[in-house]
Amino acid sequence: MPLDLSVWIVAISLLAVGLIAGFFMHRSDFCFVGAFRDLLLFRSFHRFGSLILAITVAATLIEMARLLGWLQPYPFSWYGTPSMVNVFGGFLFGIGMVFAGGCVVGVLYKFGGGSVLAGAAIVGLLVGSGIYAEFHPAWIQVAKALRLHDHATTLPQLIDIGPFWPIILFIGLGGYVSLYLRRQGKQELMGQPDGYIPLWISAVVLAFLGLATIMITGLPMGVTTTYAKTAAWIETLAFPEHVAGLTFFNAKAVSLSLPTLTREMSGNAGAQWDVVALLQAPLIVGIVGGAMLSAALLGELKFFWKLPLRQVVMVFCGGVIMALGSRMTPGCNLWHLLGGVPILAAQSLLFVLGLFPGTWLGGIMLKRILI
Amino acid sequence: MEDNEIIELDIRGQVCPSSLLLTLKQINSHYESVASGQSEVVVKTDNRDATGTIPAAVENMGLVAAVEKQAGYYRITITRSIDD
Repeated sequence: MPLDLSVWIVAISLLAVGLIAGFFMHRSDFCFVGAFRDLLLFRSFHRFGSLILAITVAATLIEMARLLGWLQPYPFSWYGTPSMVNVFGGFLFGIGMVFAGGCVVGVLYKFGGGSVLAGAAIVGLLVGSGIYAEFHPAWIQVAKALRLHDHATTLPQLIDIGPFWPIILFIGLGGYVSLYLRRQGKQELMGQPDGYIPLWISAVVLAFLGLATIMITGLPMGVTTTYAKTAAWIETLAFPEHVAGLTFFNAKAVSLSLPTLTREMSGNAGAQWDVVALLQAPLIVGIVGGAMLSAALLGELKFFWKLPLRQVVMVFCGGVIMALGSRMTPGCNLWHLLGGVPILAAQSLLFVLGLFPGTWLGGIMLKRILI
Repeated sequence: MEDNEIIELDIRGQVCPSSLLLTLKQINSHYESVASGQSEVVVKTDNRDATGTIPAAVENMGLVAAVEKQAGYYRITITRSIDD
């Protein structure tokens, strides 16, 4: 990929988005896993409430951008047609993220903040991405067989109406729930650590960063294909011929025309540096760096190595399961919760449908493992 | 100051939500002793969220938690409520 000025501008802009996201996520401990797990395990609403707020603000911003003509015509081309594999992938992802103690971005900000275990989860994510490549062609056939619709990608399309009123109704509902939880005092923690930024502020910041990413790249935030690319690169070092024969890593490159780039660029899940890496790697580096900066400024950047082996194994397995879930769905929680749910993408709604039972089951197993 | 027995829990570096789960387990098995003021539970954690969740949980059990920042972690001391 030629590294001209416009490519550098995209990379630096996304690095800035990642740095801000990592900083705020670390300060507020804005954890997507905690949102679901604490709701189901402890009946605690504080993180779930902030997630609802983030989704609601994201829906408002994306709809405003659409009405202003800043985005490609609805229903966009971000999400595919719904399939039952979206639910199954979400279910696996839910179990995996609870075991890993963080989602695909949570483990990044936690790792940046000094968590050795989050590093084990990242290794698990790489391994899981490599495992998926082994059965990708068969899984694509399953996804096709379980497809629920042949062309509609969003809920408004499925019921054959325009997006405006369903989105307005969704924003109204999300806003009402957010305000209700806030009035009940259920949206924030009672005690606050050093340098704490209220969850609601981070929720709003993340929604704005999501829109910024869409404006820069033409796509919602996502990071998981870069885990697959890294897995491909590592595997190539040991088994180059095997990797060269895997469809997942050698699929036909998808062309993308970024709003901020003059020429079209293409990329896939293979080991090479391409447009997919350009859209995701700066975000990953930024989130780790932003959290690291936040922790260092607070004097909290300290790695604790004395860890129970059982937890290291559990977190690694969580990373593997989460990667399988995100590839089988396909997509991660960030992609679906801050990108898909706000536009009522059918795939994303099905992913969330699987996420609840997955997190619940993961939570029950987690309790047994930890206690 | 009385010589209380100190039950120490070092959860630094452990996965979320170990801090809350292991603290509650420890309190449940020493509840009488903590509630009567004979002992206190001291938790060392680097989980920022635990500085909010642990005080909230122990308050529901009629105890209090004091949070102090140390070098690179938080020390949460759980004792009987001063109102008792």
